[in-house]
Amino acid sequence: MKKKAAKKFVAGSIVAALSMSLMACNKDQASGEKEDNTSKAGELSGEVTLWTASLAGEPFDTYFKELEKEFEEQHPKLDVIIQDVPQNEMEQKVLTSLTGSDVPDVVNLNPHYMSNIASQGGLLDLTNEISDEANNAYVEGPFESGKYDGKLFALPWYLTTTVAWYNDDHFTEAGVTELPTTTQGIYETAKKVTEATGKPSYYPVINDGNTIMEKMVSISNGEPIVKDGKANLKGNQAILEFFELTQKMYKEGMIPQETAEGSIKTGQELYMAGNISLLEGGVTFLGPVESGAPEVFKASKAGQPLNDTNAPVNVAVMNFAVPAKTKNKEAAVALAEFVTNADNQLEFAKVAGTILPSTKESLEDDYFANPGDSPKGLGMLEASKSLSRAEVLIPPTENSADLRAATKNIFTKNLQGKVSPEEALKELEEEWNKAFEKTGEKVTF
Amino acid sequence: MKSKRLKQKVWMYALMIFITVLTVGPFLITLFMAVKSPGEGIYDRIIPNDPTFGNFVIAFNKANFATYFLNTVIVTGLAIPLNLLFCSLAAYPLARMDFRGRSVVLALIISTMMVPFQLYMAPLFQLSGELGLRNTHVGLIVMQVSTAFGIFLMRQAYLRVPRDLEESAYLDGANKFKVWYMVVLPLVKPTLVTLAIFTFMGTWGDYLWPLLNSTESNKYTLSIGLAQLSQNFDGSNLKLISAASILTTIPTLLIFIWLQKYFISGATDGAVKG
Repeated sequence: MKKKAAKKFVAGSIVAALSMSLMACNKDQASGEKEDNTSKAGELSGEVTLWTASLAGEPFDTYFKELEKEFEEQHPKLDVIIQDVPQNEMEQKVLTSLTGSDVPDVVNLNPHYMSNIASQGGLLDLTNEISDEANNAYVEGPFESGKYDGKLFALPWYLTTTVAWYNDDHFTEAGVTELPTTTQGIYETAKKVTEATGKPSYYPVINDGNTIMEKMVSISNGEPIVKDGKANLKGNQAILEFFELTQKMYKEGMIPQETAEGSIKTGQELYMAGNISLLEGGVTFLGPVESGAPEVFKASKAGQPLNDTNAPVNVAVMNFAVPAKTKNKEAAVALAEFVTNADNQLEFAKVAGTILPSTKESLEDDYFANPGDSPKGLGMLEASKSLSRAEVLIPPTENSADLRAATKNIFTKNLQGKVSPEEALKELEEEWNKAFEKTGEKVTF
Repeated sequence: MKSKRLKQKVWMYALMIFITVLTVGPFLITLFMAVKSPGEGIYDRIIPNDPTFGNFVIAFNKANFATYFLNTVIVTGLAIPLNLLFCSLAAYPLARMDFRGRSVVLALIISTMMVPFQLYMAPLFQLSGELGLRNTHVGLIVMQVSTAFGIFLMRQAYLRVPRDLEESAYLDGANKFKVWYMVVLPLVKPTLVTLAIFTFMGTWGDYLWPLLNSTESNKYTLSIGLAQLSQNFDGSNLKLISAASILTTIPTLLIFIWLQKYFISGATDGAVKG
């Protein structure tokens, strides 16, 4: 009897829960189908909400207040609301908001978040929504990063490209005057610096595996590491050499043990403490160094990434997308175009100080050719120099989490000498192929 | 014999000092980082050369701490009494009243503790929107009011109260509510304080739900402010983050110190009888 009652209770609860979700879904759908607020005459009106990612506090608050004011002056019937969301939770917050009716109208995403949300139908296809002017305004690589499955889902905003950062005091102590451009060169430089300082010197950033994949594409310089959805590492001498020499450097104490964790944050901490001297990172790398280790900051210098001077380098893009459930489509697209136009991007780059804009016009500004001789300015200069060969090296794919995890694990195992470089590359090929077989994606990079 | 005791004492103290260093050490390092001046590197030396409280002022202003602090105080102030009320009410029948399906209800309530938040956050988000709780202080505490853990903790505490006390109150003519309120509840005061501390800590440090439920940043709480500071666009300023962490931790620390004698006795309540 007791069992029967329990069963009834559980069944009843499940039915009630399902009915509630369905009712909520229907209601959401209904609200999503509401006409947007823009009047038929084309004048923008109503409310439009924009979410930025980790841009709270000054100087950004003032910048966005002015941006908001200017757009509202252009469209007096429109109310612009700008909110900031911590970057790491942006994807989750956008996806959750899409399940309800409180959806933002414009969101600041990176290409990975964008492609994931777009693949679930959460973003508006902008291909036919943006103006011709906007279509031709952006640098090609970053603009392409806003595409998923051949459709445009986001407009590029600010960029950072990879540069090499080094502690010039350590380099001077070791008598090194030039940055290496080959893996063998990295080995020789790291050896000299380690001998002079008595500490590890080179830190290959791994992060979640993606940075190593990007490095492999740069090293490979034209030869794809994945071809039509199949790993293409066999016979790639440049990558084999990278795996061999990083293992050797780790064994000989030139790469610190902390590299097994591999995040840029750990690299930053080691660099601030003077425990490494050379690594590659974005232009924003020096932010915490400036406040956390003023002396190391003063000794910091930037150079081109540690590859062939014509090798492709990665560009990290932040963009703006419009959620599919926006209630104010025209205003959302207009706001996304407005925030990413050349004038506003130039102004934003000056306010931020360590990023590059993605419009062709703003990049021509003298500010990027002569950003000053501060360590950050040197980084900006090097970043803008390499922008012509910068692109998103790893396209967003459905299996990217698997690819990254496998790369991180196998690269770390190789670093620690648990497998030989040949075995590591073989294992990496197998893991990548498994991931591509699962999703059937035929990408090349 | 004496020297053996002395040896034991020395070892005991050494162990206690070691554990104290392990637990208090990170807090002290954070404090030292927070008071380092702009010209001083965080890794230069542990003890700051020229201590300053400037980082606290900058962190307070930069992370919009005044608004976030007020929001956190409001939601915590709402969550604690509501959670105590609902948990102590819900737990009483589960401990004392005989009704059909009591064990099923208890099992169902406890089983909700096993469900990860990520699994039901989307429906909860929808529901809170439908109920008009988006961007409200009440909306921020739906996760903290009437928690399964609280109900279980209170039930365990009620089970320890001798039935004779309740029966004599019934003989004196008290009804069920009066017995609960005037006889049983005062006897489980340490557990109530324990639950209050747990609710305080849960609400004060809650991050994901307040972030999801607030589409307006003026409803953000301190933990979101801290995340904004640490995920700053051009990397995190560790001195400011340390200062902000200390500012966020101080209230928790003070409350714990104030109520710790109840906390220790209440926290072991659940272990006595099941």
